[in-house]
Amino acid sequence: MDSTLLSWLVFVPTIGAVACLLAPREVTRTVAMLASGISFVLSLFLIPPFLGAGDEMNAAAVFGSSYGDALHFIQRIPWINGESFTIEYFLGLDGLNLPLVILTTLISLLAVWASWNFDEWKINKGKKGYFALLLLLETGMLGTFVALDFFLFYIFWEVMLLPMYFLIGVWGGPRKEYAAIKFFLFTLAGSVLMLVALVAMFFYSGAAVAEYPELAVSYRDGASVLTTGTFDLIELATNEAIQKYFGESLFLGWRFAPVMFIFLFVGFAVKLPAVPVHTWLPDAHVEAPTPISMILAGVLLKMGGYGFLRLCYPIFPSGGQFWAGTLAAIGVVSILYGALCAMAQTDFKKLVAYSSVSHMGYVLLGIAVMTETGFQGAMFQMIAHGISSPMCFFLVGVIYDRAHHREINRFGGLWLTMPKYGTMATIGFFASLGLPGLCGFVGEVFVLLGTFEARHTFTWAVPAAILAAAGVIFTAGYILWLIQRVYLGPQKPEYADYPEATGREMAILMPLAALCVVLGVLPRVVFDYMNGTLRNILDQIL
Amino acid sequence: MNPLIQMSPEVCVVLGGCLVCLIGVARRSSARAVTSSVALVTLVVAMALTAWYGRPGDAIQPAGLLITQLSMYVRWITLIVGVLIVLVNAGTPADEERGEFFGMILFSIAGVMLTGCANDLVVLFLAVELVSVPTYILVGLSRTDARASEAAVKYFFLGALAAAIMVYGFSFLYGAAGTTVLRGASGGSLSEHVASAGRLTDFATIGLLLAFAGLSFKIAAVPFHAYAPDVYEGAASSVTGLLGFLPKLAGFAAMIHLLTAIGWQLPTSLLWLLWGVAAATMTVGNVLALLQTNVKRMLAYSSIAHSGYMLIGLLVGPALGAGPMHDGVAALLFYVAVYGTMNLGAFAALGSLTVRDEPAETLDDLAGLSRRAPWTALALTVCAFSLMGFPPTAGFLGKVYVFSSAFSLSPWHPFRTAMVVLVVIAVINSAIGAAYYLRIAAACYLRDADGQSRVSGDFMLRVGLGICGAAMVVLFVIPKPLVDRARYAAAAAHPRRDAHVSVVELPPS
Repeated sequence: MDSTLLSWLVFVPTIGAVACLLAPREVTRTVAMLASGISFVLSLFLIPPFLGAGDEMNAAAVFGSSYGDALHFIQRIPWINGESFTIEYFLGLDGLNLPLVILTTLISLLAVWASWNFDEWKINKGKKGYFALLLLLETGMLGTFVALDFFLFYIFWEVMLLPMYFLIGVWGGPRKEYAAIKFFLFTLAGSVLMLVALVAMFFYSGAAVAEYPELAVSYRDGASVLTTGTFDLIELATNEAIQKYFGESLFLGWRFAPVMFIFLFVGFAVKLPAVPVHTWLPDAHVEAPTPISMILAGVLLKMGGYGFLRLCYPIFPSGGQFWAGTLAAIGVVSILYGALCAMAQTDFKKLVAYSSVSHMGYVLLGIAVMTETGFQGAMFQMIAHGISSPMCFFLVGVIYDRAHHREINRFGGLWLTMPKYGTMATIGFFASLGLPGLCGFVGEVFVLLGTFEARHTFTWAVPAAILAAAGVIFTAGYILWLIQRVYLGPQKPEYADYPEATGREMAILMPLAALCVVLGVLPRVVFDYMNGTLRNILDQIL
Repeated sequence: MNPLIQMSPEVCVVLGGCLVCLIGVARRSSARAVTSSVALVTLVVAMALTAWYGRPGDAIQPAGLLITQLSMYVRWITLIVGVLIVLVNAGTPADEERGEFFGMILFSIAGVMLTGCANDLVVLFLAVELVSVPTYILVGLSRTDARASEAAVKYFFLGALAAAIMVYGFSFLYGAAGTTVLRGASGGSLSEHVASAGRLTDFATIGLLLAFAGLSFKIAAVPFHAYAPDVYEGAASSVTGLLGFLPKLAGFAAMIHLLTAIGWQLPTSLLWLLWGVAAATMTVGNVLALLQTNVKRMLAYSSIAHSGYMLIGLLVGPALGAGPMHDGVAALLFYVAVYGTMNLGAFAALGSLTVRDEPAETLDDLAGLSRRAPWTALALTVCAFSLMGFPPTAGFLGKVYVFSSAFSLSPWHPFRTAMVVLVVIAVINSAIGAAYYLRIAAACYLRDADGQSRVSGDFMLRVGLGICGAAMVVLFVIPKPLVDRARYAAAAAHPRRDAHVSVVELPPS
């Protein structure tokens, strides 16, 4: 199904960014709101083709019988081409990126709304620039999720860094310059090896179709034969000639698939972030303004997980097998280390940042075990974390706007002062904790189940699952302790006159809280839209 | 066709240079002020002549010239970037030195164009020196500072030494081949000599080694790079922008000529040597740039590092009819054009700033530039990101092309693994490079406005700067025109193509 809807979706925020720069300063935020609102509404129009996919009968019709069989909203335009290569502007949607696209537009919209009080910020210069960059960031994120040409994906992936860098660096806290540069350099250093992989995969795929022309049938029409190398992510994953060649060829004397897997993995692990390349995250979060933290935690971290599922596993399944133990170990360490670090924090925002490290560890573990339940759990965990962590960051922001500090130990009794806000905070933090009935629970449980399921394949699966389950206890520890110190206890006089959360603040928290509950009670609303594609990927790689 | 007409673009630029020098001695200041405009007009006329008469054709035998698509490419990008160079330098020289200054720029440009056409060792040497000698003078003229004189003297003596080494190498090549003609001529040429011997003789190898040593100075490759930081720092910023382009392009064009003449059949020892030079050049350049706080020195080391990336393309060599992703020379030619523009843009931005009547040089001088001069800061940042090789800028495409060309070597190529390793070294280097380019952007945008720099009001400089910045983004979105010309040029350097017919099947420029 061809369509230009995805292009509109990606570039409406860009148009909005230009409009922000041109419009008078008084209406900048309205323009930004309008642009992000339109893209949110547009993203809802992506759902219809996926409706009814929960039904076994319909699933094949929606997701196709194999990976890449049924892409929706495809747009293909040759961009840079010569006789022997074509870089395409190729967008498409399947069960893997649909939930993430909608999450992105939602969180972006809420982040723009959370920036509504921009004029009251400490650094309130350059309002037009701020909103324009925020919208450009949205373009970059959406582009990364919907691009199915590796070259295009890489460009969106890199371009997205620029607005984020400036948003943290210009409108951030006291150590903004350090945090922004660290964020940029970590991500860039991670992605330079991805550039090598990009080029290597292109040339190896070219060699593959020359070596096995009889197998090189393209998935696009099921008949034509590939004659040159390709950047098409689906082609790289499904073309038999390419898969065969990738599996057997060497790169500098090592097996090609595991090496490329690691080249890609490093870039995605920085973004995820996995221990030990997570250190940029607490710095970036602490310095970033609240709405930017929401986007950073809600969407940017998901790109790491998305990258694993879109690139690493479908294209290099043997690499996934090869590194499974290492990745699971990194995942478990991230879970435990992130949780322990979170427990040790006295800065409210840093605590939430480390909790992200811990939560994304589940994503890595779920993917590493390569079971269907694990994949589903990882994907669900990404969505759930994409809802609960922006909520937590906004909750921190609300209280920071009033207190102008984030010392957990200086707070206390806030629930009594601000009952509505306290209720929202409880929902948000309990969702993050993984309380049954809220969204955080489903993902973690699926990941743990999936890890147990893998015990026949991997001997380390059971200890990994046990350790990861222990992480849940640590999580409960730091979150309950946090709630106790900040919201419970006797009212403190210096906070007694704080105003209750405003209508705008409640309006931002309410949809997130509602989603926390809905996803916790009815996880099907997410699973239905992605399981088909996950199953197709697994069918192909196992 | 009359040889003089074929060479009319070069002739035009040289005559324009003479005219500018003459105008420069005029008594009235208002007359001297038009020198930059005359230089611009000269370049535009030369472009028109290139478009009308500059067709690739037969060798101009007695003159030792051969016009190929490579010559056409070198002409075009030199003229186009030359216009930018003149724009950026419009306000640089002192009033009474304008004649010499723009005259020297034009001579240097003519030298680069001649290097592209040279088909004879003597002509090649003269052309390369025609590029270099004016630049020594330009460095000295650019400022009244003692450091500029120091830089000029240093540049001159080391340059003279490099020229001597190069011409010494040429003499060996002459001794080996018995002729100074590079290729294609009936009755003996270096290419025929190599072809008949089957491989490069030891004698010729020594010649080539020495010639490359001399040319490495022009492109500022390790270990002949040491002059670059001092010279770049000493010269005025806008002149420094030119230093990163004209000698580099001439050096690479000369290297391509030499390698084409020997059929790209470098002996293994020389290949490994160049491999080491490339790896060392990019690593030394980037690591030392990281330690600088003076932006000019930083960009000088960055210029060294970029030569290292470009050497990858040179080592891969040309591939017939393939795109830049498969063709090292095409990738190199694309890169050098893009590098010249982005480097010029960065130096132009720096040259437009003054701090307490002194030229801006350090990162502190740039602090908070985005508030005082948003457009200058934007152009500088775009150029910095392009130097970093970050999308959406042309610098990114340049890097991708150069890196991918190394992968395009066939799996049975004995040197393929080494080239892939070199690319891995290069990408690690680009990550190191990102750290210091980012400091420029950070100073402009993230630091508070405590820098004291003021923007000069020179209109031409700002136009030039704007074009450099815009070109980086435009070339990213629409790279095809430049890529195609680089491809034709690279095809002309392919050994399997006889020089006479090298362009017949390809579309005209």
